[in-house]
Amino acid sequence: MHSLQTVVDLSRWQFAATALYHFLFVPLTLGLSFLLAAMETVYVTTGRKIYKDMALFWGKLFAINFALGVATGLTMEFQFGTNWSQYSRFVGDVFGAPLAIEGLMAFFLESTFVGLMFFGWDRMSRGKHLLVTYMVALGSNLSALWILVANGFMQSPREAVFNPVTMRLELTSFADLIFSGDAQAKFVHTSIAGYVTAAMFVAGISGWYMLRNRHMELAKRSFRMAALFGVFASIGVISLGDALGFIDGGAQPAKLVAMEAMWKTRTPPAGFNVIAFPSQKQQRNLYEIQIPKLLTPLVTRTMDTVIPGADEVENQAMVRMKDGIPAVLALKTLSADPTNQPALAQFKAHEQDMGYALLLKRYAPDLRAATPADYQRAARAVIPNVAVIFWSFRVMVLAGFSMLFYLGVAAYCSLNNRVQDRRWLLKLAPWLIPAPFIACEAGWLVAEMGRQPWTVYGVLPTWMSVSTHSVGYLVFSLTGFVLIYSAFIVVEAYLMLKFIRKGPDEGRLAAPLH
Amino acid sequence: MILLRMLLYLVISLVTLFLVILLGQRGAWYFAWVLGTVMIVLIAAAGGALLDAQEEAKQSGQ
Repeated sequence: MHSLQTVVDLSRWQFAATALYHFLFVPLTLGLSFLLAAMETVYVTTGRKIYKDMALFWGKLFAINFALGVATGLTMEFQFGTNWSQYSRFVGDVFGAPLAIEGLMAFFLESTFVGLMFFGWDRMSRGKHLLVTYMVALGSNLSALWILVANGFMQSPREAVFNPVTMRLELTSFADLIFSGDAQAKFVHTSIAGYVTAAMFVAGISGWYMLRNRHMELAKRSFRMAALFGVFASIGVISLGDALGFIDGGAQPAKLVAMEAMWKTRTPPAGFNVIAFPSQKQQRNLYEIQIPKLLTPLVTRTMDTVIPGADEVENQAMVRMKDGIPAVLALKTLSADPTNQPALAQFKAHEQDMGYALLLKRYAPDLRAATPADYQRAARAVIPNVAVIFWSFRVMVLAGFSMLFYLGVAAYCSLNNRVQDRRWLLKLAPWLIPAPFIACEAGWLVAEMGRQPWTVYGVLPTWMSVSTHSVGYLVFSLTGFVLIYSAFIVVEAYLMLKFIRKGPDEGRLAAPLH
Repeated sequence: MILLRMLLYLVISLVTLFLVILLGQRGAWYFAWVLGTVMIVLIAAAGGALLDAQEEAKQSGQ
């Protein structure tokens, strides 16, 4: 049992580490591709060479980031098979298609057009090259779409049914999978978060140039475009974050409990915990500062809907565990005799709660002998790590609003042509470059740790999803990943800093307008 | 050539209609992403072009 828990933990660490590393590169690719397209659009429509120089310079930084993003993403797809083989077998019918399309989008559409974009400047007309740049941007974002569709299913698995004969989840509607509310909100939220990342990146570097009076023509234009691009994207990402919270809050009450550190069900309208120090062991907040009556309208769009606290979620989980046991017992019979009609009927009557009984099995291998203490432990496990999720969520929100505020002021000052006079604004810009990356990482922590203890929410517990590797193998591969990916980060940082310090090719830059 | 252009525009309009009907009905957030992205890109581009106009106006005023 101890070894299994270690294998589960190490598999989770490995996936989390690779995903978090990978997502240091992804958002910049998603957003910078469209920002490049915007710069090139001005070049094609006005014919001013400075915009081509901008596209070339920022394109160089895009290329470094893109290459490392693809390299770090490759291993993740394989990890589903190597470390999560039980999960892959269980949901392969649902998960396989979006994952395959994502791979095709990334490697064929995106990579082909990236090659044309980098090497096609002198080989294609302006219009054709612009089209290629838009295809790169579209390809990058569509590639992200498919993996987020798959993730949306894991968060809210409504588009599949479990087949007790094949012992797998089977897709009921591909269209429903793509158009699920979770997938839609998650994709738009993630994609636009990438736009904000690119805006902060370009604004930060442009601000740094302007402070040093270097490459002023390029920096002023880049700063203006990034600020406008970013301010609207920030509004979008916050709106979609709210929509995603609304959808996830309804689908995953345990995640909402963790995000809001809400241990007890309160009479509506419930208060919003601005600050809290949650104790998972004691199931209460050691300290909290609350804004009264704010949480209920935020989460439910009403003033009188009851939001279940941890106590209620745990009670409901215990009821569902009891109800799911006949379904799991029927599966045993069906695995020996798939035509057994009474077993099939028994399974059908209880299949809604099968996942909860599988969760209980972690604590009571013989479900018929499960004790109240086993139920209690399993029910407690339904609540994810509250402290991490609570604070990750607040870090994300704080970073999001800070960026909106900064980009709003930056856009206003830039439109009034006063950016050069606001040196504090320019000084702040490079320091804010990490903000969107921190927000993105924190957002993924909320999404993924908040789904625990499930890989597929309410259906497949994490403990049943892993492969049967040895602890030694996982320690070895995890160490290898961390070392190699850390080296990638160092390489990226070195190359980025080198090209940023060097700046755009002065000799090739267009002459200033005045 | 003109015929080819007409065909291209026809295809673009058909794709647009398809997107509007399909996404508008079933994928409101996807539709918002398409519209929002186009809007954000165009606003950023317009901001760049506006800076050129402001610089030129400043120059001619001197």
